Amino acid sequence: MQVILLGVSHRTAPVELRERLDFSSRDLGAAVQALALRPSAAESVVLSTCNRSEIYVVSHDLLRAREEITSFLSEYHELPESAFTPHLFSHDNEAAARHLFRVAAGLDSVVVGEPQILGQVKDAFQAASEHHRTGPMLSKLFHWSFLVGKRVRAETALGEGAVSISFAAVALARKIFGQLNGRRVLVVGAGEISTLTAQHLRSNGVGEIVVTSRTAAHADTLAASVNGRSIAWEELAHGVASADIVVTATGSQRPIITRAHVESVTGRHRRDPLFIIDVAVPRDVEASVVDIEQVFLYNVDDLQSIVQENLSRRSSEVARAEAIVSEELAKFAAWLRSRGAVPTIVALRERFDRIRRAELSRLDGKLAGLPPDARVRVDEVTRLIVEKLLLEPTEQLKALPDEETQVAYTEAINRLFRLRDSESPSSADDTAAEIRRTDRRGK
Amino acid sequence: MNLLPFVLYAAATVVYAIHFAKRQPSIGRAATTLLLLGVLAHTFVIGMQTMEVRHVPFSNTSTAVSSFVWLLALSYLYLEVTTDERAMGVFIAPILVGLQAIPVIYPGVDYRDPVLDSPWFWVHVTSLLFAYATFALAAMLGLTYVLQFKEIKKKHLGYFYTRLPSLHVLDAMNSRAVAVGWLFLTIGVVVGIVWAAQALALSPNNSNLQAMSLQDPKVFIAVLTWAVYSFAMFARKTLGWTGRRAAWLSALGFVIVLLNLLPVSYFVTTSHTFQ
Repeated sequence: MQVILLGVSHRTAPVELRERLDFSSRDLGAAVQALALRPSAAESVVLSTCNRSEIYVVSHDLLRAREEITSFLSEYHELPESAFTPHLFSHDNEAAARHLFRVAAGLDSVVVGEPQILGQVKDAFQAASEHHRTGPMLSKLFHWSFLVGKRVRAETALGEGAVSISFAAVALARKIFGQLNGRRVLVVGAGEISTLTAQHLRSNGVGEIVVTSRTAAHADTLAASVNGRSIAWEELAHGVASADIVVTATGSQRPIITRAHVESVTGRHRRDPLFIIDVAVPRDVEASVVDIEQVFLYNVDDLQSIVQENLSRRSSEVARAEAIVSEELAKFAAWLRSRGAVPTIVALRERFDRIRRAELSRLDGKLAGLPPDARVRVDEVTRLIVEKLLLEPTEQLKALPDEETQVAYTEAINRLFRLRDSESPSSADDTAAEIRRTDRRGK
Repeated sequence: MNLLPFVLYAAATVVYAIHFAKRQPSIGRAATTLLLLGVLAHTFVIGMQTMEVRHVPFSNTSTAVSSFVWLLALSYLYLEVTTDERAMGVFIAPILVGLQAIPVIYPGVDYRDPVLDSPWFWVHVTSLLFAYATFALAAMLGLTYVLQFKEIKKKHLGYFYTRLPSLHVLDAMNSRAVAVGWLFLTIGVVVGIVWAAQALALSPNNSNLQAMSLQDPKVFIAVLTWAVYSFAMFARKTLGWTGRRAAWLSALGFVIVLLNLLPVSYFVTTSHTFQ
């Protein structure tokens, strides 16, 4: 059994193509069920985000699986194969695992270290396992990738620091106020960044969002979208007085919030801090406002430079994250190898057991005189002898250090015990081949 | 005997510093474990001394400092466990090491004047040492508040910004530490006054008891400390002195506390120098 990965990502395909191959808007479950009809896919998971569509399949036959996934993509998305094959990438076994680990760690994301991807990988696995499309191999692989994702987040700063202006503003607010629950926000003027910031603040649990704008209709729209309320432009001063966080984004050519203005409404000794986020260009807030003791003032350039710093800090963490990926990959590869020994171990056990049964039945006549419970014990004892004989070789086979040694050992065992001669060469493969033949004739 | 806790506190300091720099949870847990071991060893040391001299050993400055260190370590561990916040460790642990060096260098015999043979003595000293320990915490919280406040205000988000709890949390913890410390300081001072008056009535010729007055440096500085923290609490409530002002006040208060605990005790003979 081998793992094969086929897909497109932001590294290999333009957004137009990724849109065409996207599964996320449809039901992931339907996709894995459609894949289940392909005989080469014993297990399958479909991972689809706005930056990638990837199909993980476990199969006996890599080549055939690759062909079938390609034809599945073509049929499912109603696209000719030639439209996307140049953009497809493909990895097998360890390389596929490395890719998934890097994806889960956020190393393969457009914004390195972004937090959503791990959840999306989990959802993809969940959808497949709900449709019983995951087996021992993909379960192990995906759970291992969750572990890698968690380790990278816990042990490196790869996902730390906001990398957009609105998130940087929210992160600062949290650093000043701690929990944002119950904090009051005033949004002055409705622009793109101010709207985004208000939305992030809302999802961080702020108590109340008040919106004001010279154009009342704009204020009403924004207020509705962030579940806040709008106030008249004339009440701006009052709004500043009762706010903890002020976001300004008007098109005004002159400052609308001055130092005198803030001092007159907040008094000299403000108990709680006032955090002003000025994302307007030209600026809405007089720079000297920051001289008031409890006032923190950030403009769009300040926030932008935080974002830049965070981005460069993230990229300096990449090496540490990659090291974690490599470390876990080595462990996973060892597990994969131990799985590689399984068919040999099974065959060996079957062979020993067959001999045991044959000998018992040969002695059937001589044993006939024994009472029934003694016969049961004879059966039990012979079984135990076989188990004990095989215990150590089984452990050793599973723990072989690399693939080459493993091939040599299994080959030796196959020859020493004539494992291949005594059996038909994997009946499962035959059945699969049979199904494929009928499948082809059907088309 | 004081050496083992000293070594463990020093090790904890180093590991807290590494944790502060690297921010790895496993290193943080190691630091906490070392500190906990230090506290346990210290508890054992104080317990042994208590059995040896048959009273809790804080009659002389070295043993009092040792007990102060022990209480500070305990209070800090409590803060760490309840807030799950380890960043303060790097600021607290060096105080433990610095002060614990005193009993290591000058072990001092815990001689006790018979006049101190009273349960009030125990309440008086324990309350004051505990108050001082929480003031030490408040001062360090204040210091970190100021460091981080500066970074955010000046828009140089750097080393402390990524490592410390939010300003709000630091301010709230500072406020609580000052309130708890003030309460115990008040208890300690009131018990001291009442008990000194009683003791004077019993042994009118004791020179220490005769010297108990506001002119005495030890008493004066203790009252000054009480005044500073009382003002800090009053200003927070009514004048809106939160944040940076409150932080500076608690730092000032602790400087006065340290003054009383160390130079005054060692170099100035006061009403509290029992020999």
